Amino acid sequence: MPQDAFILEKDHLVPLLRRLGRDRRLVAPVRNGYGDTLYAPVTDLEEDGLDLEARPQNSLKGFFFPQRERLFSYTVAPDTGGGHRYAFETHLPEERPTVYFGVRSCDLFGVLYCDLVFLKGRRRDAYYQRRRAGAVFATLACHHPFAGCFCNATRTGPSLELGFDLQLFDLGDRFYVETGKPGGAEIVARWPAFFQPAGEPDRQAQFQAALEARGLFERKIHVDLAVGLLAGREPEGVVRRLSERCQDCGGCAFVCPTCTCFTITDQPLDEHHGERVRTWDACTFSGFTRMAGDANPVDGATERVRRRFLHKLRHDVARHGRPSCVGCGRCLGICFGGVDMARFVEMVCSFGNHHATDEDAR
Amino acid sequence: MTPRSNATATYTANPYLPLPARIREVRPENPRVKTFVLEPADAGAEAAFSFEPGQFVMVSVPHQGEAPISISSPPGRGSGLTLTVRRAGRLTGAMHTLGPGDTVGIRGPYGRPFPMAELEGRDLLFVAGGIGLAPLRSALLACLAARERYGALTVLYGCRTPSDICFSRELDGWNAGEGLRCRVTVDRGDAAWQGRVGLVTTLFDEVDLRPERTSALVCGPEVMIRVVLDRLEEMGLAPETIFTTLERHMKCGIGLCGHCHHDGRLVCTDGPVFSKAELASG
Ligand SMILES: Cc1cc2nc3c(=O)[nH]c(=O)nc-3n(C[C@H](O)[C@H](O)[C@H](O)COP(=O)(O)OP(=O)(O)OC[C@H]3O[C@@H](n4cnc5c(N)ncnc54)[C@H](O)[C@@H]3O)c2cc1C
Ligand code: SF4
Ligand code: SF4
Ligand code: FES
Repeated sequence: MPQDAFILEKDHLVPLLRRLGRDRRLVAPVRNGYGDTLYAPVTDLEEDGLDLEARPQNSLKGFFFPQRERLFSYTVAPDTGGGHRYAFETHLPEERPTVYFGVRSCDLFGVLYCDLVFLKGRRRDAYYQRRRAGAVFATLACHHPFAGCFCNATRTGPSLELGFDLQLFDLGDRFYVETGKPGGAEIVARWPAFFQPAGEPDRQAQFQAALEARGLFERKIHVDLAVGLLAGREPEGVVRRLSERCQDCGGCAFVCPTCTCFTITDQPLDEHHGERVRTWDACTFSGFTRMAGDANPVDGATERVRRRFLHKLRHDVARHGRPSCVGCGRCLGICFGGVDMARFVEMVCSFGNHHATDEDAR
Repeated sequence: MTPRSNATATYTANPYLPLPARIREVRPENPRVKTFVLEPADAGAEAAFSFEPGQFVMVSVPHQGEAPISISSPPGRGSGLTLTVRRAGRLTGAMHTLGPGDTVGIRGPYGRPFPMAELEGRDLLFVAGGIGLAPLRSALLACLAARERYGALTVLYGCRTPSDICFSRELDGWNAGEGLRCRVTVDRGDAAWQGRVGLVTTLFDEVDLRPERTSALVCGPEVMIRVVLDRLEEMGLAPETIFTTLERHMKCGIGLCGHCHHDGRLVCTDGPVFSKAELASG
């Protein structure tokens, strides 16, 4: 039995969160007045209905990489020499130690993937880094996967082997709690009254819960098979068919925990001042690659779907050794054209399996 | 892919922060193109800013955001930092209204440069189309500054019309240089044009090259690049010795925003300079 496993009685959850929220920001899945469950900052544990049952509609991406953020403000002022001066003032976000509680396994993987892009590349993103500093993750293993989830196929859930500070398993009347990274052990050490060492029956119950969850996925989605097939050939027919159904709305990229493309624009405030702003962008937008004079080196209409799926299932595999889809299933819910990751994988696999030509996909 | 050289960037804690640079001089090249001579507004920054041919900077123009522009001057102190800009839209249009004393923002230099060290000892063929001569000028002037290190130098330059020609003041000089040939052609001439008419590939018939000793540097519109690259390979140049630059929409310049993604590569950090062999393995 691991030394670092504990039991947290469900009655103790809110008091524990209250303590955690005292000197740190607390972010958790909260059901709002419209009935939507979103990861959101919790200010009042009584008022903000904590919802650990539903799948949060957003991922954690926006907490580290907001949909819109000001990078700089700038001034343009006449100069004594007859020209103009042009100066930038940086607006780095403040570092705010935050406990992210009730995070689903796939969503933590999403953050770890974003780290690869923003922190582990050749250049570090100072804005992301500030927001990411001091983050502690208490994840919640899924005891019943949601419709459309396929984290089993991407090996990002329904529970985790690593990456979390604390990992909770729902055992009905109590949570089984594992500690992972140091932030988790610190929490247990700081508030020991909430955590009883787990016993053998608890461990067995946790094992059973984790095993059952793994058997409850509704669809078999063969991500690895698709990755293998895509390494060898171009899925032209599949791409063409799905491109016809894509409405260029960007929804899939915006809900995706691992889609990180962005654009940078200036917003003039008056003649002498303005802001440089970064906003989410999506490679499914037909104008994503358009250059001056309307020249577009990539055909916007048919390339948009190709770009998104091949990036996740081919290029990121080459770059990072694994696909950047975490199987969260959010793009299945958002796309009204049915152009989602599960559909793409299934189409690629079925044509691959039958050794059919791409033309059959028409 | 590993960078061919340790591309020198002025590392700051915030990689998006532009450095103010004052415009010292503006030289009109033709009705749509101007060359801007810049100096960092902060004297200390000038020493820190070093680059290699083929690299680009992200240029900020007040209220217009940023655009990638290749450096057209050769590396080294004294020649200044020049950008040769074609009026293509909003930002470049606004930049054309600026004059000496005005300030722009620059960050960089970014991108993988031409492999100048690897090119030493070889004959070099520069093939440019239109504004594509800008990054090649940086490389050519670098070769002229270290003339003994390179073999014969040939420049083949094609433009749509005579009024699209850039650096025309320099072209004659290049032609007169020792071991240096320069040929220019236009797709369509005009009443005053006395020179050649035809696509840049027609110039290949006029020069003899020693394919096994020659490396090529190619820059221009994407269609031109494709034709020229194929032609060079037909002439016997090995794909590893043909270098070109790719152009993509760029927002960050440092491998983060995803805009310049091209079949698994990011043009801003893996390129913009690629060998033909690298492009074929995409
Ligand atoms: C590595 C590299 C090096 C370069 N070097 C040089 C150089 O040395 N010299 C040079 O002159 N140029 C160079 N360029 C090209 C230069 O970056 C572009 O010409 C410049 O970005 C054009 O910017 P703009 O704001 O003037 O045009 P924009 O106003 O951005 O675009 C012009 C037109 O494009 C269309 N368009 C563009 N984006 C969108 C969008 N998102 N939505 C809808 N329509 C859109 C519009 O029709 C618009 O009118 C280089 C490019 C790269 C990638
Ligand atoms: S694939 Fe679907 S969600 Fe994504 S941009 Fe196209 S229509 Fe929108
Ligand atoms: S591609 Fe779809 S299922 Fe995969 S991580 Fe993104 S939103 Fe989730
Ligand atoms: S310009 Fe942003 S990734 Fe290349």
